[in-house]
Amino acid sequence: MASTACFVIVSKNDIPIYEAEVGSAPKKEDLAHQHQFILHAALDVVQDLAWTTNAMFLRSVDRFSDLVVSVYVTAVHTRFMLLHDSRSDDGIKSFFQEVHELYIKIFLNPLYLPGSRITSSHFDTKVRALARKYL
Amino acid sequence: MDPLRSYLGRLLLEEITPVVMVLTTPLAEAACKKSGLSFVDMLSPFSLFKKIDVPVRTASEVPYRLQMFKIRMVYASDVRKEDYEVADEKIKPVVSEADEKALPDLLSGPPQLEDVLGKPEAELCPLWIKKFNRELMRTLSFSEHETFDHPVACLLVVSSMDKEPISKFVDLFNTNQLPSLLNEGIMDPQILKHYLVLHDQQEGPQDIAVNVLAEMRSTLGSNDCKLLCINSSTEADGSNADNSWLPYKALGLNNHEGTCFLSMDDLNEVLQHLVYIMCVPFPLRFAGGTNAKEGKLCCSVIFLALDHYSSVLPLLIKDFMQDFASNHIIPYMEQKIRVLNQQVATTRKGFRNQIKNLWYTFTSIESQIRVLGDFAFMLRDYELALSNYRLLATDYKLDKAWKRFAGVQEMSGLCYSMLDQSRKDAEYCMENAFSTYLRIGSSGQRSATRCGLWWAEMLKTRGQYREASSVYFRISNEEPSLHSAVLLEQAASCYLLSSPPMLRKYGFHLILAGNSYYMSDQKKHAVRTYRNALFVYKQNPWSYINDHVHFNVGRWYGVLGILDVAIKHLLEVIACSHQSLSTQNMFLNDFFHYVQSMGKKFDVHKLQLPVFNMSSLRVVHEDHRTYASDADVDVSESTWQELEEELIPSSSVVRTNWLDTQPKSSLRKFKDSSVCVAGEAVKVNVELKNPLQIPVDVSGISLICQLSTNLDALSSDVSGLTLDGGKDQVNIEPSVSIFETNADNFIVSQLDIILRGGESKRVQLDVTPKVEGVLKLVGIRWTLSNSVVGYQYFEFDAQKKNKKGKKGRRRPFNNNLVVIKGLPKLSGSIEHMPTKAFAGDLQLLKLNLRNHSEFAVKGIKMKISNPRFLIPGDSSDIGLEFSHCLKKQKQSVVSSKSMKENFKGLLFVFPQDIEIQAGATLSWPIWFHAATPGNVSLYISLYYEMENSSDIKYRTLRMHYSVEVLPSLDISFAISMSSSRLQEYIVRMDVVNKTPSESFVLHQLSCVGSKWAISALTSCSSISSVETVSANQAVSCFFKIKDFEADSCKEAGSGSYRSDIALHPGTSGDVFDVARAPLADFHFQERYRQGKLAKGPCSLLDFVLISKAAGNSSKPSPDLQLLSHHTCHCSARNQSPVWWLMEGPRTITHDFSKSCCEVSIQLVIHNSAEHRSSVRVATFDAMPEKSQTVHPHDSTSVQGGWYDVSLENDIKTISSAKSTHHEKQYSKSISPYVWCSLSSAQIDLQPDSCSRVPLKVCIFAPGTYNFSNYELQWKVHPSKRAQVNEDVNGPSGGGPGHPFYVTVLQSV
Repeated sequence: MASTACFVIVSKNDIPIYEAEVGSAPKKEDLAHQHQFILHAALDVVQDLAWTTNAMFLRSVDRFSDLVVSVYVTAVHTRFMLLHDSRSDDGIKSFFQEVHELYIKIFLNPLYLPGSRITSSHFDTKVRALARKYL
Repeated sequence: MDPLRSYLGRLLLEEITPVVMVLTTPLAEAACKKSGLSFVDMLSPFSLFKKIDVPVRTASEVPYRLQMFKIRMVYASDVRKEDYEVADEKIKPVVSEADEKALPDLLSGPPQLEDVLGKPEAELCPLWIKKFNRELMRTLSFSEHETFDHPVACLLVVSSMDKEPISKFVDLFNTNQLPSLLNEGIMDPQILKHYLVLHDQQEGPQDIAVNVLAEMRSTLGSNDCKLLCINSSTEADGSNADNSWLPYKALGLNNHEGTCFLSMDDLNEVLQHLVYIMCVPFPLRFAGGTNAKEGKLCCSVIFLALDHYSSVLPLLIKDFMQDFASNHIIPYMEQKIRVLNQQVATTRKGFRNQIKNLWYTFTSIESQIRVLGDFAFMLRDYELALSNYRLLATDYKLDKAWKRFAGVQEMSGLCYSMLDQSRKDAEYCMENAFSTYLRIGSSGQRSATRCGLWWAEMLKTRGQYREASSVYFRISNEEPSLHSAVLLEQAASCYLLSSPPMLRKYGFHLILAGNSYYMSDQKKHAVRTYRNALFVYKQNPWSYINDHVHFNVGRWYGVLGILDVAIKHLLEVIACSHQSLSTQNMFLNDFFHYVQSMGKKFDVHKLQLPVFNMSSLRVVHEDHRTYASDADVDVSESTWQELEEELIPSSSVVRTNWLDTQPKSSLRKFKDSSVCVAGEAVKVNVELKNPLQIPVDVSGISLICQLSTNLDALSSDVSGLTLDGGKDQVNIEPSVSIFETNADNFIVSQLDIILRGGESKRVQLDVTPKVEGVLKLVGIRWTLSNSVVGYQYFEFDAQKKNKKGKKGRRRPFNNNLVVIKGLPKLSGSIEHMPTKAFAGDLQLLKLNLRNHSEFAVKGIKMKISNPRFLIPGDSSDIGLEFSHCLKKQKQSVVSSKSMKENFKGLLFVFPQDIEIQAGATLSWPIWFHAATPGNVSLYISLYYEMENSSDIKYRTLRMHYSVEVLPSLDISFAISMSSSRLQEYIVRMDVVNKTPSESFVLHQLSCVGSKWAISALTSCSSISSVETVSANQAVSCFFKIKDFEADSCKEAGSGSYRSDIALHPGTSGDVFDVARAPLADFHFQERYRQGKLAKGPCSLLDFVLISKAAGNSSKPSPDLQLLSHHTCHCSARNQSPVWWLMEGPRTITHDFSKSCCEVSIQLVIHNSAEHRSSVRVATFDAMPEKSQTVHPHDSTSVQGGWYDVSLENDIKTISSAKSTHHEKQYSKSISPYVWCSLSSAQIDLQPDSCSRVPLKVCIFAPGTYNFSNYELQWKVHPSKRAQVNEDVNGPSGGGPGHPFYVTVLQSV
């Protein structure tokens, strides 16, 4: 498991709708904003890259010192962004794909307003379990 | 674009140029000092030649013309490698100087997106940054591995005042004093020498100098010797001299960077003239304002200076320099190139130098190639330079001399770039150089930085801004924080310049730069960068980013002493619920720190701490509706309206026609606006929440109100205000102070609370208007921690109103209230109203009404929503002691009747003569009975009228109580018919105590109505064993009840039976009267309610069980608590409308020898149905074959009718009468008796009547006979109306006869 990993789902309006620190390293408060900064800045790169390929998984799109940003873009341009320091591309891909399935389930919930924050604790647990499995 | 004209080309022209080493004598230097300059400074402005236009021929045969040229003048003492620390110290002022200039900018608002995107590149990358870049590169000057800093020529300067100038020249170029680099063999000491004699005109006539020059020419060679005269101006001394240098200094050009400045050409033009003037008085050449006329920088100071010294030069510095460059340096370099080229060609053509060089001196072939390359580069023969660099690269690579290799790669990259040929090659070279520098460790770091700077410039020239920014970012990692900050800022600006602009990257890199600035103690720069990034993060939902940016900007502004801006930014972060406790603490502490250092309270609109939940806002004002407590307001208006329908006079709800949905009230003139009464508080409920984990002290929470007394003018305004109010406030947002004035018109309550972490509280704020007028609720004001005043206006959205305007809307929120004259008001409460009670609890309570006003009120009426729970008592009840008044008394009938009159249909009218005088209190008894378990809401509305009031004729007082009724005793009754008596029933009462700890004493069981008598079964008369039902216990008791009024049972004596039975021994006389006021009324309600639930058509009787709470085992309850349970509509199980019974003698003695025995029996049939029914009775002689009861061999035996009758069979037959019905089978055997009077009969029975059918049986032998060999069919005929509705006839049924045993004995 990666020691640092920050997973964020960004809606198509560039609003983070789900955030989770899934790394094994103990969470440090002062890193929270750094992670957000890196991920936020990486959106600029994703914006360009997303239209150059048909693939949903864009691999690592940006890096900051030893942290890498991997991105997965869904059909409605919701972006799954993972900031990580590990290298397993396959694991990250599977992670994204399974999270996508979970996300679709959230999306199908008639009570969920698309683009609003995902507050489901079930989703949260599942994502964390997937992170433990693949990252 | 021509690479030479680009910024990079310009940079290379100015930075990679021939170096001239200058050696001066002290006297010469002293002469220059008179004008405040060193010799090098004096010459530097003239070392750039914009249009030198010299033909150059290097290795190739084709000459080309050189246009722009620059030489660097450097003192010999400076020809050495500087320490990084010292060099870095030199850079610092460049940054901090710009720091000073940044301050005024910081006071203005932060830039917006449009401003930034519209900015030209020059502004994004200001001059000081370019200067910084140059300085950073210059820290590497005279490095070992490069040769372009090696002096090309040497300028030896001697003053004309020096003794023996010729020997001075020799001394100057003494190898001992030469820079170590030359001595150590790194640089070639065999360089071009040029001799100059400097003559100070003030020291003496020019002749001396001329003589010296002639001497020099004879000894040192005629070409290389020159004379320069300075300080010719007679006035250029003392204060005048200072003044004359002012413009020069003002332009910041008193060091050699001057030439680097923007619009160099024009500036140089002007400056050169200036220097002439400084130096020269002779009227040889005129250099007035004419030459400077086209200067774009025509600052008036310069012109002033020109006018003042309108004089001319003998030998111009400019001319000297031009001559020096074009006639000496360039030819020398040309020649050197040709020689070196020849050398290299021959060496390379031979065999390669196989001996690995550990260090390279100027004599080594590699160094010579390098010199060749660099000279070619400086003379802009990039092709030649490149070929040599490439040659070198392979050599150095083989030698593993990585630093040199990288240096060569860097230069080839630049060559490629200047040739504008292969971008890929250029990039490859730069990348290669960069990574090689990095690989060799700390010694290559700065070189890597310089290489990166070139590289980035190269990329920028080609418009590859994204790549450039990543290069800047890479080099920023290698530098100390101050340098890295400037580099990061450049990276940010590159992101902005890329297309499309990458704003988020721009913001992020600015933030990074800001952090570095802060770390290197450049606070103003830090604030500036953060501030520039603000627009990227404006209204950003990325919470941590937002907090970080605003907190730091705020904090740094605070450090700089710009407190108002600091607080403005800190306000953005103080409501950060997602941060940890320590961070929240830090944010809040800083905020309060700066607020306190402001030294005054200040107002903040929409302060986020605490958060006022405006959607929870509720205004409570009392017009004709008044409320007993604040909780009552939350009850929906429709509930009250429904309750009050009969209560309030119909005149006020008259509608002119059916289209009028709104009832017209007497307050019509105020239109839709709400009304409140002067002197009565208007309450505003609002919820406030502390989003932090830290306790927050909020004081002085109060309403902001306006009261205008001019009612007439405003009555028309009211509607206008309500519509536009919201808009006005949003636009104008008046400061709070406006509303502080009119305190004599109304009183506003102040509230101080402390909100714990994460807590939300509902608070109630009051405003009490004192005079009539229009009261406008404007907003809320509060003080946070005694230092910040927050305020928020109520927002009334017009659109929202329209949406709500549909059916079933809530009362729209209206901030304008019409204040009317003071009115009498009653306040009321029920004393000791329980909030928790056990089911069945019966209590006598007191309703207290108090009149606070000066006027009496009258015509009091009351309506109670749930009479099962509350029933108003009689005025006589008030004095009575509870529970005694319920006991049986003689004169009980009268009072109950009067009660029913008063309390008809939930409405209770107080006696007409009751008036509540001013200040008086009225108490009225009210009975409470907890009828069913559950949470029950009780609504009471009290109506009263008042005299002498014009606007409002009446008011209502609304009270609301909710009671939690806990289950206590669960009581059920099972009634079964007595098998022997028609009108008697056995009752089984099951009592289950459902409480966990309470126990109850059963006191009394009563049947309601005089028709029924109840008695204990004789067998279990000692009921005392079950008198107390303790927790969780279940008890069953059996009783017998008897119907008095049934005609068949009339004969039974009524004396011994009563409708009540005391269950508690010793209290037999002490029974409660269930027919009296409260119990009877409650029973009436229960009966009505339970009747609604009961489905069956026929009901038999109602029971009332009265018990007393005995408390739990640990503490017996001191006060007597009475519980009454009402169970209504009990009826016998499995009851069919028609039932019958055989009557007759049970034992007969007969002499069979004489005749057969004839027994007369009667069948009694009862119809309990509500309708007429017909019954058919048929007797059979055939015996039903039942193996259990009848033994076939017995029937044919001699003994005749004798057989065994077991009791179990009997019982079973009764209990399973229905099931046997289906297994009816007839045997062929003949029964031992014969029906003799009739075989069938048809009887019509009226409802609730009895009929007897006489029957006769003939018996032939003694024995015990069961005369059940008959069948009954009955059918109920429903009333005619019912028959029309449904085809089906009424219920019908039938059954075999009940067993009736008769024993016949042979008479002796």
